[in-house]
Amino acid sequence: MKRGSSARLIAALVAGSFLIAACSSDGTDSTDTAADTTTADTSGSETTAEGTDTTAVETTTPGSDAWAVSTDDCIDPDAAEAPIEGTIKIGSAMPLTGGVAAAAFAPVKGGFEAYIKYANDNKLLGDLVIEATIEDDQYDKDKTPGAVSKQIDDGVHIFSGIIGSPNNAAVRDTLNEECIPQLNALTGSPAWGDVENYPWTTGILVPYTVESRVYAKQLSELYPDGATVALFYVNNEFGQVYADAFKELAPEFNLEIVDEQTIEATDAAPPTAQITSIADKKPDVVMAVPLGAGCIGFLTELAAKKAQNADWTPATFITNTCASSLILGAAGPAADGLYTSGNLKDVTAPSNAEDPAVKEYLDFMTAEGLGEIAATAAAGWTTAEVTVAIIKQAMESPEGLSRASIINAARNFTYTPMLARDGVVDTMNGAADPFLAESLQVLQYAAGTATFTDIGTLITEFETE
Amino acid sequence: MKPIAIRSGGAASWAIRLVVTALLVYLAFWIPTSASNGVIDTCITALTLMAAAMALNLLLGYTGQISIGHSAFFGIGAYATGILVSRYGWSPFQTFAVAFVVAFVVGALVSLPALRIKGVYLALVTLALALVFPQMIKWPKLVWLTGGARGLDNTGFKFTKDNPTYEIFGWNPWGSLRGENVKPFHYWIAMVIVVIVYLACRGVVKSRAGRSLVAIRDNETAAAVMGVNLAGTKALAFGLSAALCSLPGCLSAIRTGNVTPDSTNLTVQGSITFLIVMVVGGAGSLWGPIVGSVLFVFITERTGDWSDPDAIPGLLRPLFSWSSTPPGTGIFAIILIVLMFVAPFGIVGMWRRFQARFVVVVPRPAGTGTITEPVAAPAEA
Repeated sequence: MKRGSSARLIAALVAGSFLIAACSSDGTDSTDTAADTTTADTSGSETTAEGTDTTAVETTTPGSDAWAVSTDDCIDPDAAEAPIEGTIKIGSAMPLTGGVAAAAFAPVKGGFEAYIKYANDNKLLGDLVIEATIEDDQYDKDKTPGAVSKQIDDGVHIFSGIIGSPNNAAVRDTLNEECIPQLNALTGSPAWGDVENYPWTTGILVPYTVESRVYAKQLSELYPDGATVALFYVNNEFGQVYADAFKELAPEFNLEIVDEQTIEATDAAPPTAQITSIADKKPDVVMAVPLGAGCIGFLTELAAKKAQNADWTPATFITNTCASSLILGAAGPAADGLYTSGNLKDVTAPSNAEDPAVKEYLDFMTAEGLGEIAATAAAGWTTAEVTVAIIKQAMESPEGLSRASIINAARNFTYTPMLARDGVVDTMNGAADPFLAESLQVLQYAAGTATFTDIGTLITEFETE
Repeated sequence: MKPIAIRSGGAASWAIRLVVTALLVYLAFWIPTSASNGVIDTCITALTLMAAAMALNLLLGYTGQISIGHSAFFGIGAYATGILVSRYGWSPFQTFAVAFVVAFVVGALVSLPALRIKGVYLALVTLALALVFPQMIKWPKLVWLTGGARGLDNTGFKFTKDNPTYEIFGWNPWGSLRGENVKPFHYWIAMVIVVIVYLACRGVVKSRAGRSLVAIRDNETAAAVMGVNLAGTKALAFGLSAALCSLPGCLSAIRTGNVTPDSTNLTVQGSITFLIVMVVGGAGSLWGPIVGSVLFVFITERTGDWSDPDAIPGLLRPLFSWSSTPPGTGIFAIILIVLMFVAPFGIVGMWRRFQARFVVVVPRPAGTGTITEPVAAPAEA
């Protein structure tokens, strides 16, 4: 019985690890984060005006010269222009299992589904019923086409909120050829602005290139004579896009990159060696692009190194994927004084407690038994909200509700989500402005009070670019 | 009850083979022509896994050489296609041969340590390969070629409205080859890969080389004494297994139109999946990986919506309703553990044991085959 005995031993060990992985992805981890999503925070000084009707979805009507999609290249142009009546089906693919990714993104699904229920309960689209189905692709781009196909078979009209750049890219050709709107890709890759080749695909997050520029600009104000910068980023598509954008901008803002360290997205160990290398260079600034629990590990290690090197007090910039009071609260004093950015209100800030929109959101989430994830579910909620607003605009358009009118509405869209910071006006304008969200507020975190302070004013200059 | 005896190569044996083959061929044609696109896509996933697990089976199941590094060979296929299509404009079909050759060479090189080490130590060497591969892809000095952590886009076929359709006597099996219509096309590529891998494995296993592999697996020393070239045979097994595993990797790049180093099948998790699928189905059996991959995909698909307790069948609800995420992976792990105790040779082994109670295949009696006259040895000078 020698045959296969080694294989069985290894397989049994592996099965154990599978079980552990399966059990650990139940979404109850207290450090769950809405990684790769824009869950920005604010000091809470801004609130929407008293008496604002938070349930109303207000959209704008595009002009007659607005960008319009051509259905000539569609496989079935008639289907793309066929009216949608009674029920609109929204599909999506997100990592619901698969360990770390599933744990990190679980709140997005909760927020997305909660808003759909909210919209149906409040009849935001009149008699039109919204159905949302979210398939599990395990954050594996090889599984996304299957998840999407299944939903197309089920008659889904549009897709929204698919998480991950490779995952969205894996179905982009199919959905564009089928002329099915692929709205609000939940990644900040600049690839979602390719209106010419992929008119049916749009993104919802602030492009990473824009966020990098915001930080570079802020750094140039903090260090007018130039500064040395160490880059620390997660070694995947997300981190590399960020890092490449920042490196490209560095000379323009008189920033010198003196060290570059990476961490794998799946690494659970703290990045001790990487931070030691950075500390040896003693840069003026540490620009960090971690993800999920990696945010906490990075901040803790950095704080330890700073404590060992009293003469080294770098400014720390961290991407808004970590800008959640939940994550930074877990990092404790290590997060004190860091800079980040955001465009949504901090729903957990006491100063925002009386904000009508935040109150409405929290009340609804609590009533649905989702109070625990409310802090990190705002990204999912906002994604669904924007989707519903686009559908509403399409309904009100002269062509009526169809897949074609939905993408036309999405590409000629001006909207302020209910949880957006005051002054944020998300705009998409055909090929002239292919990105929806491009406004950001630089923030500084105070660990003592677990609050954010605005640095300067809301940056909106990229919105029209 | 006395089991029925069927003579190998007899009429009954051939009748069973014909019926099974006809059913499989019917199924193979029914799926792309009649099933929904979701089902077709699920089948492509299963076929991809099947080919990779069959390739691993040749090495582990038949030769006894443990490999947890087959994700790297899968990745070589994906990146060979990705690089040649997106960087150099090759047709995806042309890249299969390159992937095969590159993976064969790498596999043969990896076999060098296998000449001196075995068991857990060999597993660790191949594990290192699986861990190093994604890092090599991300290596800054190779970004110009591999795209680094960003990966590569536009790695599949690019069909446009102007592309010709491929009619066969008026029958247009793949339609316009655009949108969801491209799925049957991908399905057939996957099916051809599976058939090629199966025939290659079968050809090797049933040949003199295959008997050498089994001899090495069962007793290396005895095999060497019997005249088996250990180094050459192991290198061949490693190389061929790696080369065959690269083919589903090519399909992965074609199917999604992009390649990234963090794709599950390119990481060590992919290797583990190939291994488990093979062991559950039945290591050392040509049908093992086929059964294992179908079961794996079926369970993960079937339990996909079990995070909603209402979707769980009533009988199983008390067992799985506590989980807020689909329990497919966990269920498969439990099946694996149970099988280790009740059916160490996997589902196929269990089926054979069960089948033997009712049907016994009797080998052809000696002397009934073609007899070749022995050639007389030349007389000593």
